Amino acid sequence: MQRLRYSYHMQLNFEEPVREHHFKLRCFPSSDERQKIFNEYINIYPTHFSSAEKDSFGNMCIYGAANQTHDHFSVDVKGEAEININGQLKVEAYKAGIFKYETNLTKAGNNIREFHRTLEPSALYTSNFERAKYFMNVLYDEFSYVQGVTGIFTTGEEAFTIRSGVCQDYAHILLALCRLERIPCRYVAGMIPGEGATHAWTEIYDEGKWRLLDPTHNRECDDTYIKISSGRDAQDCSINQGVFYGGGRQRQEVKVIAEKV
Amino acid sequence: MINEELYEHSESVNELLARYGVKFGIYKNGVFHEQLFPFDMIPRVIEKDEFEFLERGLKQRVKALNEFINDIYHDKKIITDGVVAEEFIYSGSGYLVQCDGISPPKNIFTHIAGIDLVQSKNGEWFILEDNLRVPSGASYPMIARELCRRSFPEEFEKYHVEDNRNYAEILSRTMSYVNTGGLSVILTPGRFNAAYFEHSYLAERTGARLVTCEDLIVDDEHLYFIDYSGKRERISDEYLDPVNFNRESLIGIPHIFDIYSKGNVALINAPGNGVADDKGIYYFVPAMIKYYLGEEPILNNAPTYLPYYDKDKQYVLENFDKLVIKDVAEAGGYGVTFGNKLSKQEKENFIALIKSEPRRFIAQEVIDFIDIDIYDNGQAVPRKADLRAFVLMSDEPVVWKSGLTRFSRNPDSFIVNSSQGGGFKDTWVMKE
Repeated sequence: MQRLRYSYHMQLNFEEPVREHHFKLRCFPSSDERQKIFNEYINIYPTHFSSAEKDSFGNMCIYGAANQTHDHFSVDVKGEAEININGQLKVEAYKAGIFKYETNLTKAGNNIREFHRTLEPSALYTSNFERAKYFMNVLYDEFSYVQGVTGIFTTGEEAFTIRSGVCQDYAHILLALCRLERIPCRYVAGMIPGEGATHAWTEIYDEGKWRLLDPTHNRECDDTYIKISSGRDAQDCSINQGVFYGGGRQRQEVKVIAEKV
Repeated sequence: MINEELYEHSESVNELLARYGVKFGIYKNGVFHEQLFPFDMIPRVIEKDEFEFLERGLKQRVKALNEFINDIYHDKKIITDGVVAEEFIYSGSGYLVQCDGISPPKNIFTHIAGIDLVQSKNGEWFILEDNLRVPSGASYPMIARELCRRSFPEEFEKYHVEDNRNYAEILSRTMSYVNTGGLSVILTPGRFNAAYFEHSYLAERTGARLVTCEDLIVDDEHLYFIDYSGKRERISDEYLDPVNFNRESLIGIPHIFDIYSKGNVALINAPGNGVADDKGIYYFVPAMIKYYLGEEPILNNAPTYLPYYDKDKQYVLENFDKLVIKDVAEAGGYGVTFGNKLSKQEKENFIALIKSEPRRFIAQEVIDFIDIDIYDNGQAVPRKADLRAFVLMSDEPVVWKSGLTRFSRNPDSFIVNSSQGGGFKDTWVMKE
């Protein structure tokens, strides 16, 4: 069990003022079997109205609108999380079915397929989790962490082709490999101790439980991983979706701080 | 002879149809064209007994489809029990993960179903397709009937045909049944939509307001209609064309899906029900009827094979020349290949494609369906025709006592879709 303090700050700066800005945010850690959230503070500015809901993956969302003209939009989320990564209860297999199938971002193209063919056969591995861990190990040796070469719409296949990218890319490629063998697996967006941006890792369905792997660091996740959301891929976990009138160019600042208490 | 009597009025009725703007729009090579939908005076006639049989079969089918969609977005028992292959659900384009766990008002997903049938030469009816994403077409036989009655009212009375002008009432009832306490509106993407005539005609007939996305706004947890004075009225009922409903990009009406998931607006038809009108899922409908209702299907599918299953693939490869192969992702008469029409090289390529992407295709026996006479330059000539029956769901499914009969104008073609140049007929269900 580990207690952490976290703060997430996101600001959009618009070159030209915008109006009738409709947003949907997905950046709020919520309590579940593995993590308890305390002292939560949320501030969204500006807003005309906002309303909370859970999406079909169970992620907490806040949607709303800012009708008046504004040139920046900011979101602050702070709180404390108490994490017990092994606290999860059994999940029925039918609920994991959807996570076996590729999405646009996790579709294996020729490069991932070719790589997959060079790997050890799946018969050598006794469980989904062991198999996924093997994929994670070989991916870690093959791939380099490089910032700025991929973006939020880069697919796993595209990132694998240049053998470099960031946490989102590591996660997508691992998911693509697992899904080639119909192993149910999900994408997780969250925070880990340190300062910077949000992090991403994966969950592998194994004998009724979701088990966690962080392919960027080539390790299993521990009690310091604060989950924000999960889904089939990064798109299901998108932190901010919005439409508005006006705006010209926009610049996004994100600052995440998480630390052990 | 009834047909000849009717034919005398052909010109005046078609003139009226043109004046009323009975058209449909199509996009060809990226350009929008509007075409008159050619109307043929000779109706398809269905006897009372025969229609009662169809009615039973159609109600049964739509009930099972509605149960299926409900199950897929909740407990998924039919997958766990191995009746429907999971892959056809999750890798099909009709499944919307965002709908998982959502219960629409009164648990109805299939408010308006358009079921396409053909009758074979020995009189047996076969289901060809289930259309559940707001199937269009009901307005055409409605207005054609209306204009025929107007052109020769006395003669019409003697035919003893079930009145089909009650479609608007049935539709209104369907809308009111799921209304969560506000206005009913019919949402149209606008003038350049293929079904614009239908949207405006049904709005006029049902008394619902015809609106576009710009007229609607979500404020807080409800949907509002903005009228010309700028006043906002609460809306709880909606006729939405989900094809134009792109939630991911939030184009359309921002947040409509959010408030739908909270049960504050009804959407007709429910988003996500495309999962049941996938051509691959069609194969499983007879099994669904047994699974959910514990009944034998009253109406049969055309014999269908899924190359996804090895046994079926074997059959498809051995009998390729007598089958029609359909691409599950295509609609509107596109992506349909008759095995015997391919050259040797084309056939080899196509078989290779089926082998590499078996999930993408279904194969069916070609049903030699009946011809119905149409008038072509004053001459009665036989043409292939199908029937789209409309089933509307409120507390119980109701089958509209009419339907859209579409025919191919080309004597050699089995493809009757309006986007492929076909025409339409009225469908007469007899009273006695």
